[in-house]
Amino acid sequence: MSAAVSPQLELRGVTKRFGGVAAVDGVSFEVAKGDIVGIIGPNGAGKTTLLNCISGTQRLDRGDIRLNGSSIAGISPHRVAKLGIGRTFQIVKPFGSMTVRENAAIGALFGSAQARRGVAGAFALADEVLELVGLRAKADHPVSALTIPDRKRLEVARAVATRPQLLLLDEVMAGLNNVEVDDALDMVRAVHATGVTVLLIEHVMRVIVGVCRRAIVLDFGHVLAQGEPEVVLRDERVIQAYLGERYAKRLKS
Amino acid sequence: MIATAGSQRRWRRIFLVVGAIVAAYALLAPLSSLDAAQSAGIPLLTDKFWFRIATYVVMFVVLATAWNIIGGITGYAAFGNVAFFGIGAYTTGMLIAKAKWPFLVALPLAPVLAALFAALVGLPLLRLRGHYFAVASLGVGVAVGELVQNIDYNGQPVFGGASGLFLPIYAVGHRGLFFFYLMCGAAAVAIAVTWWVLRSRFGYGLIAIRENEDAAAVIGVNTTAYKVAAFALAAALTGLAGGIFSQWNVFINQDNTFPIEYNVQMILMALLGGTGTVFGPAAGALLLQLLIQFLGGSLPISLDIPFVSSEARPIIAQVILGLLLIVVVVFVPRGAIDFFGGRTRLSLAYLRRSLRETSL
Repeated sequence: MSAAVSPQLELRGVTKRFGGVAAVDGVSFEVAKGDIVGIIGPNGAGKTTLLNCISGTQRLDRGDIRLNGSSIAGISPHRVAKLGIGRTFQIVKPFGSMTVRENAAIGALFGSAQARRGVAGAFALADEVLELVGLRAKADHPVSALTIPDRKRLEVARAVATRPQLLLLDEVMAGLNNVEVDDALDMVRAVHATGVTVLLIEHVMRVIVGVCRRAIVLDFGHVLAQGEPEVVLRDERVIQAYLGERYAKRLKS
Repeated sequence: MIATAGSQRRWRRIFLVVGAIVAAYALLAPLSSLDAAQSAGIPLLTDKFWFRIATYVVMFVVLATAWNIIGGITGYAAFGNVAFFGIGAYTTGMLIAKAKWPFLVALPLAPVLAALFAALVGLPLLRLRGHYFAVASLGVGVAVGELVQNIDYNGQPVFGGASGLFLPIYAVGHRGLFFFYLMCGAAAVAIAVTWWVLRSRFGYGLIAIRENEDAAAVIGVNTTAYKVAAFALAAALTGLAGGIFSQWNVFINQDNTFPIEYNVQMILMALLGGTGTVFGPAAGALLLQLLIQFLGGSLPISLDIPFVSSEARPIIAQVILGLLLIVVVVFVPRGAIDFFGGRTRLSLAYLRRSLRETSL
């Protein structure tokens, strides 16, 4: 770990409880600027709750979240967005009555301090972003005419249009078939190549191995392991968490 | 595609031309009642009695257009906007009757006070979503009217109490004409504000809130501030109409400045014409208010409804309005404005499609 460069995103002991259950329990990790990091874990591991805490959608109970050294814990979602953190939702939330271009333009109209503010400028930026995610040809389509993979692309486009320094992607590949996952991987690489730090949640191992430089494994709200994806995925505890003890033993022998 | 775009443009042109002719007639015909016009031999184009009805119609254009900002564009079903109408009316009324302010100085305070009140109650109320907000706002509408009538100080009603408030008659030539044009001015302001909102960053933020509030927040829309601003803007325009009404009507009380049925009427007008659009609520107000007047027997052309005495007509009017609300919500969810874009035509297939859209 290079101590000289302070991390872009830093989580320290982040805890979120729902009643007696700690969905996220003392999670700490760092994300360096320009990195692309994957968070994996079985259902109910606390992945989405963690993302909600970072983006301000949910308030954390304990711990601290720092962006470029200053705390963003507990501030409202629109202020998090202004500071340069964009996010997508696992269950897509498009602005249904609008066209694809308008959806992206609203992202550009608001978003971080780097986003364009004028209405005309926002629409110009929207077209650039739609080109990047491969939706340029469908810019004038109403959202209702989009397929599921395209809706996921739109979700990413709207977040990218806010000009974030850090992008949080919540299972953008869930529900896609193999070919669609490959296309979506290319899209994530293209977005990352523009200089955006990416923190993505995934269920699909192939995605983590395919694009991530680092992987963080969550289980029951705890960090189980973190490091290079190939190493982490061979970790015995990770295999146990994912496949069960019995299967892990059989794999070893 | 090109043919569709062309026919759409043609329809829009037809719509604008017809609208302009109707507006020009409505604005210019009253002038023929002036003495100068009479002596110049211009035939009387409209009855003086019509000014009162026309002013009511235009007043509802303001109310429906204002409601559209919070209810149509932002998607928060406000059922208590009549509170702002009453606050506007009582602000102007009190300043004129008790503080002896001149009308045109007292009028600007009506929208200001209504907006301040909306911002104050909006901060807690707009945290509620969906039907919770609708019910809470209805409560505000009822409560403010009751407060205004029942607040006493030293045993004296502060706002005139149950006997209401009388204003001195505004000394101006052609009073009917004056208030008709003043109300038209308020309607023009309301429509212009809506036009601006729908083209601004502010408006896009409001639409984003309507479409998905969580998504709006994470792309950087300050949802609380935007909702409160939209509520206050709607309240200001509604309060302006109330302020004009108080001096026009000369007498105000709880019944004529806080009527619960106005809440339903302004929403129905916006729905009928088309929510979220610039001219939809105005068109809906025109259609519906004329229908209300017709059913109430106030128009020169009227229809005898069999088995209904003339006293029961206003009640029948309410029943018909209720039925219309149901039919509009179920069958024309985007409003009559849908038929003027040239995209759709009123047909059996359209109604069937709407029914599928609005029912589960």
